[in-house]
Amino acid sequence: MKKYSDKYKSKYESCLSRVEKPARYIGNEFGSVHKDITDDMVTFAFCFPDVYEVGMSHLGMKILYHMMNERSDSVCERVFAPWDDMEKEMRSAGIPLLTMESCLPVRSFDIVGFTLQYEMSYSNIVNMLDLAEIPLMAADRTEDDPFVCCGGPCAYHAEPLSDFVDFFILGEGEDVNNEILDVYKQWRGSGKDRDEFLMSLVALGGIYVPKFYDVEFNADNTIKRFEPNRAGIPKTVKKRIIMDLDKTFIPKQLVVPFTETVHDRIMLEIFRGCIRGCRFCQAGYIYRPVRERSTDTLLDTAAACIANTGYEEMSLSSLSTSDYTNLNELIDGLLDMTVDKRINLSLPSLRVDNFSMELLEKVQKVKKSGLTFAPEAGTQRLRDVINKNVTEDDLIRTSGIAFRGGYNRIKLYFMLGLPTETYDDVRGIAELGKKVIDEGFFSIPPEDRKGRSVSITLSTSFFVPKPFTPFQWEPQDKISEMENKAAFLKKNINSKKIVYNWHNSDISLLEAVFAKGDRRLSKVLVTAHELGCKFDGWSDFFDFDKWLEAFRINNIDPEFYANRRIPYDEILPWDYADIGVSKEFLMREHKRAYEEKTTPDCRSACSACGAAEFSGGVCFE
Amino acid sequence: MSKKRLVFSKLNMAKFISHLDLLRCFTRAITRAGLPVRYSNGFNPHQKITFSLPLPVGVTGERECVDIDFEDAVTDGEITDRLNRSLPPDIRIISAGEPQHNASAIVSAAYRISLISDSEIGKAALDHFFALPEVAITKKTKKKGENTVNLMDYIKGCTFVSEEQTGGGFETQFELILAAGGQKNLKPELALNALEEYLKPVQVLSRSVHRYRIFCEEDGVLTEFA
Repeated sequence: MKKYSDKYKSKYESCLSRVEKPARYIGNEFGSVHKDITDDMVTFAFCFPDVYEVGMSHLGMKILYHMMNERSDSVCERVFAPWDDMEKEMRSAGIPLLTMESCLPVRSFDIVGFTLQYEMSYSNIVNMLDLAEIPLMAADRTEDDPFVCCGGPCAYHAEPLSDFVDFFILGEGEDVNNEILDVYKQWRGSGKDRDEFLMSLVALGGIYVPKFYDVEFNADNTIKRFEPNRAGIPKTVKKRIIMDLDKTFIPKQLVVPFTETVHDRIMLEIFRGCIRGCRFCQAGYIYRPVRERSTDTLLDTAAACIANTGYEEMSLSSLSTSDYTNLNELIDGLLDMTVDKRINLSLPSLRVDNFSMELLEKVQKVKKSGLTFAPEAGTQRLRDVINKNVTEDDLIRTSGIAFRGGYNRIKLYFMLGLPTETYDDVRGIAELGKKVIDEGFFSIPPEDRKGRSVSITLSTSFFVPKPFTPFQWEPQDKISEMENKAAFLKKNINSKKIVYNWHNSDISLLEAVFAKGDRRLSKVLVTAHELGCKFDGWSDFFDFDKWLEAFRINNIDPEFYANRRIPYDEILPWDYADIGVSKEFLMREHKRAYEEKTTPDCRSACSACGAAEFSGGVCFE
Repeated sequence: MSKKRLVFSKLNMAKFISHLDLLRCFTRAITRAGLPVRYSNGFNPHQKITFSLPLPVGVTGERECVDIDFEDAVTDGEITDRLNRSLPPDIRIISAGEPQHNASAIVSAAYRISLISDSEIGKAALDHFFALPEVAITKKTKKKGENTVNLMDYIKGCTFVSEEQTGGGFETQFELILAAGGQKNLKPELALNALEEYLKPVQVLSRSVHRYRIFCEEDGVLTEFA
């Protein structure tokens, strides 16, 4: 029996003439990999739970797609969430969710993997499983169904998805994904059952199988017990990471989309992790320790990507890009190969404390783009609380450099609702914006200003307490308080040169709930899906009332997860994951936040977070 | 410096690539191929690429034309080979050469149409429709307005090809020559919408449209654009 049949292809094609942006569904882009799939191959459907333009901007998918396809015994095909109009066409034509490359039903693949980049994509995962005609509940899947797995940053705290997922992959996928394919090959045809496959995966390390753990709740809905339910299952699962980024798979042939994607450029990943330790930032902890790629490897990769893609832009990808140790040498090398070819080089993640005129002049050689800085909080006190070690002077000095360099628009990014925040701190955001104009711009002699006028955009989002940060025990502001703060800030901005915009507060609440939620939320996701929730990250679709109804129907209070201060000794829904950074360190950092004490970055001093146990990276520089 | 006219095909799913996306696709393919393309001057330099007659989204094309300016001498064979290695599979370069005609001389284009309908359409109905003296249709103007015009002023010919019963219904194939180019242009979609309206109660379930030739007029003689 041939398992793989593209019988839906012509029906699918006829749907495309009736939908918006059909090119996002056609595949066959330059660089995409098309294999003749045979029954002995291991087939992996890599699903991104958002539309093509978003998914194709994701670096992790590019790495794993090409890596798995380099193996002759395996194939990886891409799957994205169809937009609403396409979903309706597919459902009415009886077409299940298909892969891009071969138009094959996702359910006919061996392993269906979702990447979890943000919590607001969870409803799409449920919808995609439904559209794929894969049983939603892992418990209902049989030998005829694929295994559903999830990886990516949210896999460290993905208990709300535990009913739907057979296994989670914790950490970086380069090594472990290959091992999973190997284990699958050995398991298939061995006569062993699905649980035995999952047991072999656990032995690889970095694999969390939710069904192998029992969770008991107290009457007050806190967790009473979270324990493995069979022998050989560890109490916690340590993440898998790549220690030598020069000796791992780096894709040099990328898929070049036809349509414009969100990040339509070469992304050169220069390091993983961050030395800084901003206390609200989950990425700053889960990717520890900092591991850099060598300048030589990066230059080789860049040259190959330029030749193989034809892209007109390249951006350096990392947290806090200006912390790369050889930044000047790297940028000089990259400019040598980009300027003549009219390729724009961009540095997306800059800090205001180590920003130089030299760097500015380098990046603007090709094309001048806007500048964004993230002071995150309006007063020095609050910036100390969150360990964002930048000062007002840094910001004003840096803005001055930018204004002299010809920029006249700067965007400043802040958070509202940070722990210990007062209305003085909120007002501080407006005052900081004004100082950047008065002291950063108007203190420059008019003849040295390139632009005649200046415009500052202040942008705020609401703080979402995230697992694996020192603020994981913190409550989030209630919605009414968030809105009061945004209104108060707006009232305090009285310059026409300042534009203020802020993010939705409802969605920030939901993000906190699903970031910190437990297993009980799986049923809320099912109800929300039944009520039609999807694409929650898109304002066209997000419907908060439907979500509230889903919580009400299941008798679950979202504020329990978002707005409650959690005691240190409470069992957390994400305690199953061991990111290498200890809970004790996070507690110490939490206490230091309340003492308004900063903590030095990893290169200045080691604060013994625990990540040194990986025996490499910045801890051993 | 030389201007080359490339004849290419855009088939299968590539028919859904919009004009703007196709331009970007060619730009990147030329960069990947390392061909010595000429860039425009100005603040935002771009490659000098011009499509002779943009193909509507959803329509396949077998002899489409694009003009590219090159800085240095490069042979026609080299352009074809290197670009075919750099283009996605559904877009193929057929030939490259000196432009023979000016794009402003384009007057019409030939399409092969296939309609799948729930019942028989018949040659007689097609012939009758395309022989009507006047069929009013609404056409969008360049300035976002609308204009009512006579469809028949844009029809240069219609030839019935075949009709057969298939699993999904009746398949009717015919060829249609429509006014095209800068002077007078009609998208096949508008002609087919009007036809389908006329054919009711016969229901057209799906259509495929394939452009196979572009024509220009030179000294009063109709010839294939090249």
